[in-house]
Amino acid sequence: MQPQTQLDHDRIVEQKIQKVKELYADAPELGRAALEKGIPDLKREMAAATGAQSAGRVGARQGKVSELTGILPIAEGGAKRLRGLLELLEGNFKGADAVGTLHDMRFVFLDNDTKLLFATAYDGEWNAYIDDFVTKIPNALDLLFCNIEGWPGIHDPNVKDWLVKHQTTAAAWYVASPNLTVAETRRLERIGKALDEFLDKISE
Amino acid sequence: MSTQTQMAAGPDPDLSAEQKIQQIRELFADAPEVGKRALENVLKELSAQVSEPPPPIESAGRVGARLGKRSELTIIVPLVPGGAKRLRTFLQLLGGNLSPGATKVGTLHDMRFVFLDNDTRLLFATSFDGDWDTYIDDFVALIPDYLDLMDSAWEGWPGIRSPEAKDYLIKHQITAEGWFVANPELSLAEIERLKRIGKATDEFLDKIQ
Repeated sequence: MQPQTQLDHDRIVEQKIQKVKELYADAPELGRAALEKGIPDLKREMAAATGAQSAGRVGARQGKVSELTGILPIAEGGAKRLRGLLELLEGNFKGADAVGTLHDMRFVFLDNDTKLLFATAYDGEWNAYIDDFVTKIPNALDLLFCNIEGWPGIHDPNVKDWLVKHQTTAAAWYVASPNLTVAETRRLERIGKALDEFLDKISE
Repeated sequence: MSTQTQMAAGPDPDLSAEQKIQQIRELFADAPEVGKRALENVLKELSAQVSEPPPPIESAGRVGARLGKRSELTIIVPLVPGGAKRLRTFLQLLGGNLSPGATKVGTLHDMRFVFLDNDTRLLFATSFDGDWDTYIDDFVALIPDYLDLMDSAWEGWPGIRSPEAKDYLIKHQITAEGWFVANPELSLAEIERLKRIGKATDEFLDKIQ
């Protein structure tokens, strides 16, 4: 980095710190105290920030991993069905492995069972991810989301617009291993296992 | 919260696979057409799952769901007036990237902040290794000031060093009823180890070629 650029960079960080101080001028005492203590760390953080990126039409992405967060209105009678189904499956979804790009997924009932939070972490771009769901586990999706108000059905041409409408992009998104896709993690698991076997064999 | 007790109870262990399938059929008898049709299509797969169930979801401790080694935390809190603006701008200034602070918590896989309901509420959701109490203790020990900076926008937040902090979190946390993890047995520490092994293996293979 050239000295001039470095100077600009430092100045931007200083400006940001100033802005945070202004923001927190009317914060609770607790927040102001935390800010005072945290300023050195914050400076480092702001200098290092690469910025969360977009996952495509909607959602945030860090490195190769994106987030999907949807709050969905539950249809009349839908909560009972959905809750019953999840209980009988013991909260587990083996079928989701078939998607291949899905890191984690949660279903959380909100506001006296009137809304459902559906939140996932997945690899790559939004469109491709939804396409994976549609081609690989269409029935599982219809089974779950038929309990949501206005669900058009997974094969409906408007299904993506419907999803976009209900999704809210995260204001901040952190991933510990942003460059590890599900496939790459599987590959590393196999290498680890093979190495253990190899070491066992040569120590025999 | 009722969701937790239901979680712990789970389905009746004495139910046969056939009975479970029968119950699912009954549940969906009054579902929309698209749901009924979907059920017919997946009945075979579902039968396989209920007769040979995968590892069940367990509790992450005082609150939250866990699959294998991986737990979920889902919190929704009301924001104080002005809190959303402060927090949103703060996160924007960090470019929406919390890595430098968050990587200090060596058990945190992923974390999101999502503003809801016209900025009156905030969803805070993470995926982490192991037990709830240990995880919160990590946050408290490793990044207390970051937490207070962000959580001072939360209505009624007592401060991370307050003895009431954990009770506050539990009160606002909602246990997930469904929780899937692609690699439930891989802790973050194990993933780091595998990354090193993968890199070393590549170098080794390059060398012997």
